[in-house]
Amino acid sequence: MVNKRVPDWLNSSLWSSPGPQPSVQSPSPTPATLNDDDDATNRSTRSATKSSTATVNSVKAGGSASGGEFPVERTGPMPSAPAVIRAENRHVPTRAKAETRDPLSSSSNYHSDEENGSSAGSTTSASAAAAISSAEDISRQAQLCQELSRKIINMGEVRRLASQGIPDGAGIRATVWKLLLGYLPTEKALWPTELAKKRSQYKHFKEELLMNPSEITRKLEKSVILDDEGTVIADKGELPRSEITQGEHPLSLGKNSIWNQFFQDTEIIEQIDRDVKRTHPDLHFFSGDTPFAKSNQDSLRNILIVFAKLNPGIRYVQGMNEILAPLFYVFRNDPNEENAASAEADTFFCFVELLSGFRDHFCQQLDNSVVGIRSTITKLSQFLKEHDEELWRHLEMTTKVNPQFYAFRWITLLLTQEFNFPDSLLIWDTLLSDPEGPLETLLRVCCAMLIIVRRRLLAGDFTSNLKLLQNYPSTNISHLLYVANKLRAKLG
Amino acid sequence: MVLVLALGDLHIPHRAADLPAKFKSMLVPGKIQHVICTGNLCIKEVHDYLKTLCPDLHITRGEYDEETRYPETKTLTIGQFKLGLCHGHQVIPWGDLDSLAMLQRQLDVDILVTGHTHQFTAYKHEAGVVINPGSATGAYSSITYDVNPSFVLMDIDALRVVVYVYELIDGEVKVDKIDFKKTTTQNAN
Repeated sequence: MVNKRVPDWLNSSLWSSPGPQPSVQSPSPTPATLNDDDDATNRSTRSATKSSTATVNSVKAGGSASGGEFPVERTGPMPSAPAVIRAENRHVPTRAKAETRDPLSSSSNYHSDEENGSSAGSTTSASAAAAISSAEDISRQAQLCQELSRKIINMGEVRRLASQGIPDGAGIRATVWKLLLGYLPTEKALWPTELAKKRSQYKHFKEELLMNPSEITRKLEKSVILDDEGTVIADKGELPRSEITQGEHPLSLGKNSIWNQFFQDTEIIEQIDRDVKRTHPDLHFFSGDTPFAKSNQDSLRNILIVFAKLNPGIRYVQGMNEILAPLFYVFRNDPNEENAASAEADTFFCFVELLSGFRDHFCQQLDNSVVGIRSTITKLSQFLKEHDEELWRHLEMTTKVNPQFYAFRWITLLLTQEFNFPDSLLIWDTLLSDPEGPLETLLRVCCAMLIIVRRRLLAGDFTSNLKLLQNYPSTNISHLLYVANKLRAKLG
Repeated sequence: MVLVLALGDLHIPHRAADLPAKFKSMLVPGKIQHVICTGNLCIKEVHDYLKTLCPDLHITRGEYDEETRYPETKTLTIGQFKLGLCHGHQVIPWGDLDSLAMLQRQLDVDILVTGHTHQFTAYKHEAGVVINPGSATGAYSSITYDVNPSFVLMDIDALRVVVYVYELIDGEVKVDKIDFKKTTTQNAN
């Protein structure tokens, strides 16, 4: 058996300092802003050198990834597998452009959350760094907007564009995600009816499932009880005793008693409550004492409770709140007022859709089965072995770092816990845009995460490797996604 | 949806050994938010047991209670309702509606819970309700030996109270309920 060397493309100097020097051709359809093909190239070369030092600082500062530059290199017109290079550029020399007012205003959504949050020192660098988009970013944004404005949306095109990252500028992430998750149909004319239908359906679910037993019993007996007791019974005298229906009393221990079920559900509701309160404590959107945060938490609670009640097989498992959080955040920050108000209903259905591919990861009984989490982790391991056998061998054999120790959280929580919030939204753009479901892309991204830190891993032992992987270092997201994409291209 | 358990006159250990098993199996912690007890427990162990059902426990002194520091009467507000608690041996004639109504007016409560007679009763008087949960153990009273164990669970929900009456008749638990709505215009007489 040939001992597979580390492939050359992996060993090149590209990987030690993120931010390659591409030759940029910008295929932008917005000619007005673009007198600057050369400028883009210059900028990217300048930025490439700067970004190597700047990235670490700026990433720690929690600057939003979305407003960075994305010079695009097209190696071929294949729409299905574009080779993209994205150089994340955080300390761009200030080039004020006409179009940047949008990114500034909407990315300020992120910034106000992040700045108010506990990440200290982020204010100056975040505001300076993140708000300026490049020609390619704007072009992609324009392309996406164009796609979205069609009568019948071309999903392939949307997926391709989304996989490169959805810019914040036009506030389209919410709509694109809804399309990618299949919540909105491709025919635009059907959108209002579909939305109305789904939203009212969710409303019914809530009414049915979130009622407490007092209300249920009251509803059941509305016809029986005389509403105006005051006049029927004399002012003084014995109160009439009435029979209860089917043994339904609060202390009932019967299996079918609504009261008993209610008290049994209370445990799950308490668990959901606790997790919701702990979701993203650094983001003002989710935590804090403001009524806004409280209402967001309530929405999360309701969605999770309805999901748990509708899915008695899987109920609620810790971690579902983490998958729910980005969805709700994006939908709630939809610039369209109507959509933002119905964010809860939309999030519920998209959450169901997203989770449908990953349900089996949350079911403990399926852990060891073909569809369970263990088998997915094994897939990841195999993947790594195929791409980088040296690293795989070092990790699994030499240092005996069982992938379960780190990959479990990566996979079940879809990488939300490994990166800061805006970065994870970017990663989710790529994950959700995969036409075959996010799992394949997820595995590729995980593999890329391992490959990027391979030097440190190869040099480390069990403890240091485990520490590194469980607290994955901040990294250039576009670089990460580029590597992930390359992995797909490698295997064809 | 607040669940309030009202019971009393257990007379443990003097007249009864323990709550009936069927009652005990139903009374599990975690379901009930408040417990109000009319008195005559009589010993501390019963107090501790009631405390395990729910930490919010209110007791008034009955004439046989060994703990002397319980108050004679107590009032508390749960949701929109004001509840009053008193053992009832102080109000004579025992169990008389008019006299209890006087006590209710005195305490200015919507629902008055008293005991001592060891008989379940629920009366409506003007705008309020007087409830006697009976004896939870079925202990004999000063008046009669023929006592069925009973207690009361109130489900307070905004302006509506559903009173569930649990009685042990011939070894079987029978549950009835009584609905009571508080009229929004409550003028104290």
